[in-house]
Amino acid sequence: MVELKSVSVVYGEQHALRRVNLSVEKGEFVFLVGATGAGKSTLFKLLYGELRPSEGEVWVLGQPVHRLKPRELPYLRRRMGIVPQDYPLLPRKTVWENIAYGLRAIGYGESAVRQRVAQVLALVGLNEQARQMPNQLSGGEAQRAAIARAIANNPPLLIADEPTANLDPDTSWEIIELLMRINLRGATVIVSTHNRMIVDRACQRVVALDRGQVVSDVPRGGYPYELDRLYASVML
Amino acid sequence: MIDRLRFVLHETRESLLRNATMQAAAISTACIALILLGSASMALYKLDATAQSLPSQFEAEVFLKMSATRQQAVELKARIEAMPEVERVTLTPREEAWEQQKRELADEVNLADIPNPLPDKLTVRVRDPATLPAVAQQIAQSPLVEEVIDSRQELQTVLSIARLVRWIGLGAGGVLLLAALILIYNTVRLTIFSRQREVRVMALVGATLRSIRLPFVLEGMVQGIVGGVLAAVLVLLGATLVSDYAVRQWPFLRDTPPGLPPLAILVGLPMVGALMGGACAWWATQRYVRI
Repeated sequence: MVELKSVSVVYGEQHALRRVNLSVEKGEFVFLVGATGAGKSTLFKLLYGELRPSEGEVWVLGQPVHRLKPRELPYLRRRMGIVPQDYPLLPRKTVWENIAYGLRAIGYGESAVRQRVAQVLALVGLNEQARQMPNQLSGGEAQRAAIARAIANNPPLLIADEPTANLDPDTSWEIIELLMRINLRGATVIVSTHNRMIVDRACQRVVALDRGQVVSDVPRGGYPYELDRLYASVML
Repeated sequence: MIDRLRFVLHETRESLLRNATMQAAAISTACIALILLGSASMALYKLDATAQSLPSQFEAEVFLKMSATRQQAVELKARIEAMPEVERVTLTPREEAWEQQKRELADEVNLADIPNPLPDKLTVRVRDPATLPAVAQQIAQSPLVEEVIDSRQELQTVLSIARLVRWIGLGAGGVLLLAALILIYNTVRLTIFSRQREVRVMALVGATLRSIRLPFVLEGMVQGIVGGVLAAVLVLLGATLVSDYAVRQWPFLRDTPPGLPPLAILVGLPMVGALMGGACAWWATQRYVRI
């Protein structure tokens, strides 16, 4: 599903990622953890082709992202749900329009849009907020709306960059529960975070990044002491 | 396909309704540049048409002395016709010319009682305009000839004015066109920045580069078309006012041939505007819209 082979990203003389190897199988739920600046967002950008590796190979859904041409990227991205850390929602559009916008942009017809938006709104529990503007939503609701837009196309892979940032613990957990529900429906999910509470509670695979390198990869249901060591090293 | 087109048109409309100040700036610059282009085209067309309606550069007019008899005039005509450079000679008898003059000026002065002051006239047409000065000079040596008017001089004046207008028009129009191109480019660039979120969302959900860029290109075209329509209306209005004033001041201008048809301006300027706006926007999106 996702494979990084000895990937490095260099900005000037600074290594954002250094010889990273990572493999994520179909149906997995993976937390990508690490302090700010560890390289989580850089790694995500590599997955959807917004950034090219300085060296190494990036394979996503069977596609060599590292050598895809710009005109080929959109067709890969249609098979991925991306919840970006920045600009999650369009401020001048309602929740309903935000979700519909993504579908229209890739050529969905009017009736298909109506059907899909209704389905994902029900899935993320935002039926009542459909006509609200983003500034009328709570942080958790806005994040759920962004997730709804990302999964509206029913993608086999979902990537969420810090979806629990600035959310209180209960709301953060609601978001993670939602992502795990989407995972149970068959999608592979990769989530970046530095929220220790949710990583502990979710008991999923945890890959830790520190200064651009993978320093630990704890499998699903891994031993608590491994996680402790992980937190001691990377989660400040 | 229709759904995608509808989406693109909807996005274009949204963008046009925002940033009213920038839209006004781009539209007015396009309008000013197109006004210059339109006025220069109209002036050039009129001058070219006028130049073509003047006596051709193949002809010279030979006025005979009042003392020359009709017989002498006919003989001179035959002698000139015998010159190898000459193609044709037409004799306009003084009575005929006078009758025509009286008819033309009938409304303004009464010439009925005045004796005919006009001489006989020969219109000489040569085969090659280059030989006209030499032929004219040769004819002028005849003792029967009062004056030879070589109409090439008149033509040269009109043509040199046309050339001047062409260069001024091209120069000023070119500079303004360039300014308009840069301004439309800049408007689209700012629009792209102000719509960064939309561009990013579209890119992340997998919209193709073409469908992300198209609304911006259409926006540039609309700015060009609106600027072009405004320019066409103003140019036509201006042309009517100027031509009315000129005809009042110099009545002989009434006889000049008609100018560029208004439809050509009404269709041409918006088309040039659309091309100009679309090209600028396309250029800006190539640089600033990336996925």
